[in-house]
Amino acid sequence: MSGAHWGVIGILALAAFSIRVLGLIAGGRIRASRHAWVLDDLPGLIVVSLVAASLAGQPLQTWVAAGAALGAAVLTNHVIATMVVGVVAFAGLAVVGL
Amino acid sequence: MKHGAIAILPLALGAAIYGFAFGLLAAQVGFPWWGVGLMSATVHSGSSQIVAVEQFASTQTVVGAALAGAALNLRYIGIVASLSDVLAGLSLKTKLLAIHITGDENWALTMAERAKSPDVGAAFLMGSGLVMITVWTASTTAGAVVGAVIPDLERFGIGFAFTAAFIAMARGLWRGRPQLFPCVVAAAATIAVVSLGLPKAYAIVAGTISGLAMSLILRRASGAVA
Repeated sequence: MSGAHWGVIGILALAAFSIRVLGLIAGGRIRASRHAWVLDDLPGLIVVSLVAASLAGQPLQTWVAAGAALGAAVLTNHVIATMVVGVVAFAGLAVVGL
Repeated sequence: MKHGAIAILPLALGAAIYGFAFGLLAAQVGFPWWGVGLMSATVHSGSSQIVAVEQFASTQTVVGAALAGAALNLRYIGIVASLSDVLAGLSLKTKLLAIHITGDENWALTMAERAKSPDVGAAFLMGSGLVMITVWTASTTAGAVVGAVIPDLERFGIGFAFTAAFIAMARGLWRGRPQLFPCVVAAAATIAVVSLGLPKAYAIVAGTISGLAMSLILRRASGAVA
């Protein structure tokens, strides 16, 4: 494992635990502040941006597979089911040459 | 503690499947099995880990990948804050252990059970949390062991599994129509920045900030924020 791998694990672990400690120390005050909406909105917006970054510039096959995964996500709201449908759709479209 | 440990088992099974899949993907992008196990034991957050691993694999930026993952964990400020009554009276050391082993599943189960019976408290939270972190660490490690010995799965489209996982997370975080415009703006801004040829890491930051700006505009228009 390279130093970069160690760096990702170490920084992520430190940041994740710091956030929990922040919740323990000041969670009540933060939740009551006028900026609390940022905590609510930020995770969803990051994930949407991650999806968009994954799809930007990709071929039609990827967008169609993403549509299938989105359909599965809406219907099931289940991570594994969505991943299975998405990967199967992606591989299936590759097989048929789309 | 035993009560919580038993009650969480059905949810732990679901986490084990997700954990195995994450371990498989992490091994495919170069994380050794013991590194995956170490990450799961020390981070203990599925969505954060999958975002950080994918970002590291695609951008090779250490701090950016870690912070992108950590940002997914901001919800724990509220989750931990909601546990103040449950954790009251515990030593600081025990509180720190309790908040580390608290995840979405055992927090939600503890709060739901506590609403039915006030006797449910820290012991239930910690019993269920210890089972969850153990199952999560073991299942992600097992996935990474398997992922390291099977051939390159990228040609079967396994890389798309990350995108599908993000789509599932977005669905899980969806809270209704007020989020629509900010999400559309975030996606459009991200795609625009990528189209300009800039790194995806920058595009994600630009998309997120654009979405937050749109959310602020809508909240001000509705009077929700001064």
